[in-house]
Amino acid sequence: MSLLRKIRRTGRTAEPAPPRPTGQIPPELRELRGSMQVRCVDAGSCNGCEIEIGNAFGPVYDAERYGARLVASPRHADAALVTGPVTRNMATALRRTVEAMSEPRLVVAVGDCAMNCGEFAGGYGVEGAVADVVPVDIEVRGCPPRPEAVVAALRTVTGR
Amino acid sequence: MNGIGPALAAGAGLAGAGAAAGVSLPPRARVVVAGVCTAGVGAGGVVAGAAALRGARWSASFPGLLPLAGVHLAVDALSGLFMAVTGVVAVAVAVYGIGYAGHGGEARWVQAAWPVFAGTLVLVPAAAGVSTFLLLWEAMALTSLLLVVAEHRRRAEVRRAGLWYAVMTHLGLVSLLAAFALFAAGAGGETFAALRAGAAGMSPAARGTVFVLALVAFASKAGMVPLHAWLPRAHPEAPSQVSALMSAAMVNLGVYGIVRVGFGLLGGGPRWWWLLALAMGALSAVYGILQAAMAKDLKRLLAYSTSENLGLVLIGVGAAGLFAAAGGRAPAALALTAALLHVVNHAMFKALLFCGAGSVLKATGERNLDLLGGLRARMPVTAGLFAVAALGAVALPPGNGFVSEWTLLQALIHGLAVPGVTTAVVLPVAVAAVALSAGLAAAVFVKALGVGFFAQPRSEGAAGARESPPTMLAGMGLLAIACAALALVPGALAAGLSRATAAAGPAGGEALDSGVLRLRLAGFPAMFSPLWMAVALAVGVLAVTGLARSAGRRRRRGQVRLWDCGGGAPTPRMAYTATSFAEPLQRVFDDVLAPERDVDVTHAQESAYLVEKVRYQSRVPDRIEHRLYRPVLAALSGAGTSARRLAGGSLRLYLGYGFFGLVVLLVILAGVR
Repeated sequence: MSLLRKIRRTGRTAEPAPPRPTGQIPPELRELRGSMQVRCVDAGSCNGCEIEIGNAFGPVYDAERYGARLVASPRHADAALVTGPVTRNMATALRRTVEAMSEPRLVVAVGDCAMNCGEFAGGYGVEGAVADVVPVDIEVRGCPPRPEAVVAALRTVTGR
Repeated sequence: MNGIGPALAAGAGLAGAGAAAGVSLPPRARVVVAGVCTAGVGAGGVVAGAAALRGARWSASFPGLLPLAGVHLAVDALSGLFMAVTGVVAVAVAVYGIGYAGHGGEARWVQAAWPVFAGTLVLVPAAAGVSTFLLLWEAMALTSLLLVVAEHRRRAEVRRAGLWYAVMTHLGLVSLLAAFALFAAGAGGETFAALRAGAAGMSPAARGTVFVLALVAFASKAGMVPLHAWLPRAHPEAPSQVSALMSAAMVNLGVYGIVRVGFGLLGGGPRWWWLLALAMGALSAVYGILQAAMAKDLKRLLAYSTSENLGLVLIGVGAAGLFAAAGGRAPAALALTAALLHVVNHAMFKALLFCGAGSVLKATGERNLDLLGGLRARMPVTAGLFAVAALGAVALPPGNGFVSEWTLLQALIHGLAVPGVTTAVVLPVAVAAVALSAGLAAAVFVKALGVGFFAQPRSEGAAGARESPPTMLAGMGLLAIACAALALVPGALAAGLSRATAAAGPAGGEALDSGVLRLRLAGFPAMFSPLWMAVALAVGVLAVTGLARSAGRRRRRGQVRLWDCGGGAPTPRMAYTATSFAEPLQRVFDDVLAPERDVDVTHAQESAYLVEKVRYQSRVPDRIEHRLYRPVLAALSGAGTSARRLAGGSLRLYLGYGFFGLVVLLVILAGVR
């Protein structure tokens, strides 16, 4: 009962939806028809980006409103959300994860480290940026990126 | 003349000839000749049994053959049914055994006992006198004991199993002797005809005692809980063709005994007899299949499944007695028919399963399901034949077990019309027991087939397996044909079954309408058509696979690596094993099974927080055996040890005992006079 009461008292916390993305969806991704299953891969991140991705799928930003959903296996996923610089230990695993996804598939590099290794560039354990290991389709700037930015990047694919 | 006499004579002669050949010939020839003779014995049983099932009768007496009593033989349709079942199984496993021998089973005494065992199995149902029956019964027990310990030089467990079997079977014999002695004394005759005539004149207490003693004896032979302890030991340790013949033919004779004595000789009895039988059957069915679900030894699993199936049969027999006692002729006939049909079905699929397990054992050297796997690719024919038998055992259409379990459930449900509080209370419980055991049986045989034959091999033995020789496959093929025939056209047996139940006694009569295409219950509004059901299932499966194939062809496909969670390729060690498959069930039935878990953590020397190794052990003991047998055995051995103190070794003491005993006896006698 207390759960129901809590739900009633809290009410709706989600932010009002920003306007629809204007850009065209790439033609090869139209097959997804506005629904995208997402698998997160931490390739060596400091966990900052993970927290923000968690927020993006939380009740406030609620990315599921726009057709993106987190799944547990790359076999179920259309997109990989990769965070952090790719460490040597994760390079092969990342390659195999992307290989395990069915086509059409896309790779979203989330955060500055994923784009250019950020703070960790040149580290002995770092293989390189995500783009050095697997082809990247979308990039999200920020250290860490704000949840709005993650949601906006996902909406460019779902178009909703 | 109807051929029964000559067929039985030929069978007995061949059994003797096979025994002689087993003793005298060199090893290889001995195996072949004894095997052929055993097959001949089985063929004799089939011919005699089939003739009896068609309505022929035969009886003979040989007064001079056995001192004092003479040998009395008689064959009616009930005997014929058991003879025919034994015969078919014997022919198949004899052919199978020719290829199987070489496991220590080609010794002289083993090959000599093999045809004699088959011969006694065929002849026990023909016995029509107490002495004849007991003689054949004991010969059967002794030859089977010899066969169980065939591999005693190779493994110590065989000797232990043999000891358990010897003790249990002879306790059963003592009970049977007491029952028949009481019966013969009360009825005033030794032949079955005299017993039948004199049974009505006995007091209810005497009749009840005879029935209970006979029930104990026959139920221990049929492997009923709590008298089952020998079964999961002896069946796994015996050579596989012997296990097959024991599990498919010998345990049936326990049912034969209960039906023959309870219905035929005593002419039925009060409710409590049959409630006792029904309760025993229900307990065995549920407990047996639960233990089978936990077993990881393939042959032990099959042995427990035998306990379960015979439990179902006993439920049918008990229900038939219950209905007959309350005056419900039609449901009684139906329940007895279901029980006998299940005996036939069980014999065929269980013999095939044991032969399949034997082929696996011969090819891999393993009985442990946790170490098998990957045999479908290496032994495809054996795997297919095992699958046919497993389908029969899971009691789902289109398997042959389904037909008899359906009939049994119909009998229990329609039996509710029989008036009485007992039936109203007992039947729903019995239905629940049958349903629970059928559901668990599905899990058991998915485990046996899926874990044993599919996936990747989990040991070197399984990886190096080769397909069995043609003689073994031929024997198994014969059983598979029998299974398929029973599954598709069970109606063909209807006439024989109604004759067999009618021969059983007051509970019998026609229960199934004979028809090849469908199975219809006589007197009850229920029918189904196993053949059409099988055809519909086959068409459905073909259609679905065809659609899936054609739909898959249109999509583009790519070859990619197996998804292994980024952790490296999976190894056979990660596959489902029998233990892991049974684990959820073990949790559900935790209170009943009382599994023993043992976790042993070794800490590193440097710190108590670092663990060097963890040893985990889990075992599911047979709880009834643990709770019931251990205390009795401990008390017996304690009594034996303390009794040793009486034997001090002094001759004077012993003479004193004798004198003292005599004096006490005389005093008692004087007092009684």
